[in-house]
Amino acid sequence: MKVTKLLYPKDTMTAEERLQAAINLQVPDRVPSCPFIYYYAAFHAGITVHELWSEPKKYRQAIDGCYRDLGPWDVYYPVNPLRPELYTFIMPMKARWPGIDLPPDSICQLLEEEIMKAEDYEWIGELARKIPRLTYIPFFMRMISRAWDDVDEDARGYVLMLSRLVWNFANWRYDFEQMKKRGTTVLYGFLPEAAFDTFSLARGFLEFSRDLKKRPRDIARAADDLTEGYLFACRLICAIMGVKRVEVFVHRSSTDFISPQAFRELSFPSLKALVEKLVAAGINPILHCDGNWDMNLEALRELPAGNCVVQFDGPTDIFLAKEIIGDRMCIMGDVPADLLALGSPTEVDEYCHRLIEEVGRGGGYIMGAGCEIPPNARSENVKAMIESVVKYSYYHERRETGPPAGVAAASRKPYGEKNGPFAREAGCS
Amino acid sequence: MSERIAALIAEVEEDKTLEEVRRALDDGADPLSLVEALREGMSVVGEKYEAKEYFLPDLILSAEIFKEAIALIEPRLKSDSISARGTVVIGTAQGDIHDIGKNIVATMLRCNGYEVHDLGVDVPPGAFVEKAAQTGAGMVAISGLLTLAFDAMRDTVDALAEAGLRDRLKIIIGGGPVNEKVLDYCGADAYGKDPSEAVRLAEKHLG
Repeated sequence: MKVTKLLYPKDTMTAEERLQAAINLQVPDRVPSCPFIYYYAAFHAGITVHELWSEPKKYRQAIDGCYRDLGPWDVYYPVNPLRPELYTFIMPMKARWPGIDLPPDSICQLLEEEIMKAEDYEWIGELARKIPRLTYIPFFMRMISRAWDDVDEDARGYVLMLSRLVWNFANWRYDFEQMKKRGTTVLYGFLPEAAFDTFSLARGFLEFSRDLKKRPRDIARAADDLTEGYLFACRLICAIMGVKRVEVFVHRSSTDFISPQAFRELSFPSLKALVEKLVAAGINPILHCDGNWDMNLEALRELPAGNCVVQFDGPTDIFLAKEIIGDRMCIMGDVPADLLALGSPTEVDEYCHRLIEEVGRGGGYIMGAGCEIPPNARSENVKAMIESVVKYSYYHERRETGPPAGVAAASRKPYGEKNGPFAREAGCS
Repeated sequence: MSERIAALIAEVEEDKTLEEVRRALDDGADPLSLVEALREGMSVVGEKYEAKEYFLPDLILSAEIFKEAIALIEPRLKSDSISARGTVVIGTAQGDIHDIGKNIVATMLRCNGYEVHDLGVDVPPGAFVEKAAQTGAGMVAISGLLTLAFDAMRDTVDALAEAGLRDRLKIIIGGGPVNEKVLDYCGADAYGKDPSEAVRLAEKHLG
């Protein structure tokens, strides 16, 4: 099903056309909005996170409530694993789960424990030699079996996980169709973690720090070995979901976690290979770049132009990013979580206006929260963020000022200088 | 030997540092001088981290080496041989279980001669109050990565005030989203952006 409805009276594009124009670095009618709502929906609706993520009907009602009270917005950001193991299918870590080992109104919290062993780097190489396109499934089945007691790494475990995935995907497809009917498009069809970052999560950060010191080449080699499997999983699941965009989480490659040198030598090669293969397959990658990327921005210029989105969560100087990569990549973000939780609607409006004026200059920008809307965001702040694109961003009404992206090197802020009182150090809400 | 130990931990060489500490202990080296060497090395790590020469893995691994080395040395130390510069109670705010940053801060404070009582993660305000009262701590450090932790931080500050401890100790907060605005919201005394800043705050307030 195609998105055909226009959301606001002055719109001349559908949300899908607007999003795709922004990704392709063309000038849309206005900046698209993608508010990253999931935990927040539960708090807004007065239900628990346990209910939100275990009862699809309540999830839909909660998202619908936000849409009715705060929307409409252009782009739906689907994050609703119906079982804890499905979270581990993306982020291989043990987790404490609302309603299971956390109070039902808590948010999911990940444990920094070792579920991947050092010898698994070698095992991944063996998998890649035997079944290069299918590495994703056995790797994640092993991680899931170590993270959760009720799934074993055997035929029964595979059948169990497959049935749970089918259930989740069926719900996703239904949700996607409902969104499209109301004129909202969907950001992605699948959301894997980048291979290097996968290891950082699965090894636990202490063991991974040891690996960086003692076996860096094993990490890079295993990340390369997973690329074909990641590509196949992305292509397959995007085809099932009917959305040719993939969110690639890059949670652990910023300078908040590793050095620029480690990024360049160990993380970036496999990330670049995956991105290039996705683009060649007609899929737009959306890089979810948590933490501070100021020192890694130049590397991103090597990724295919006009096809990728990079999503920042606050610590990266998003205005510097516009200057360095704005002529190559669409930028998304970065209204900070603390501003949405503790700021005023006026402060949110001012910050969003600045984002639209500076990062939205000439197109190639998607308005959104940094990482996600925090559960304790003030609803009037979320509304101010969503409304800002309608108030300020119609391109035919704007008089663009300032130099085009990519040529303003002289005016760049020095590395590390934060962009205002709401810049954050790292992490999600 | 002490110089070599300081240099090895400063280079984040886990196996070599521990091997050298074991050898020094076998040779009858003064345990206190070994602790001092480890601290010296750790301060180099902190400087390199601030200069962006080292990054989080170096900080985490060196903190782990320090802990492992201290565990080797501890049985040889007399219990009263190290006098602490001050006492800090540290923990992650209630409702939050993130502890990478909190653990590094705890180790860095220990490296710098402070007695640290680490309450772990998901710490209720009452537990901070109880431990601060029991130890006579001069500082309470609260960590949090989630925005949901802001309320727990504020509740902890309020609980310390209600217990009549607010005037005799300093409260610092830290973690990913913590900034001036969060500091104002929580009513703490200061916030630290990184472990080195936490140490500087301890030096400023505890000496």
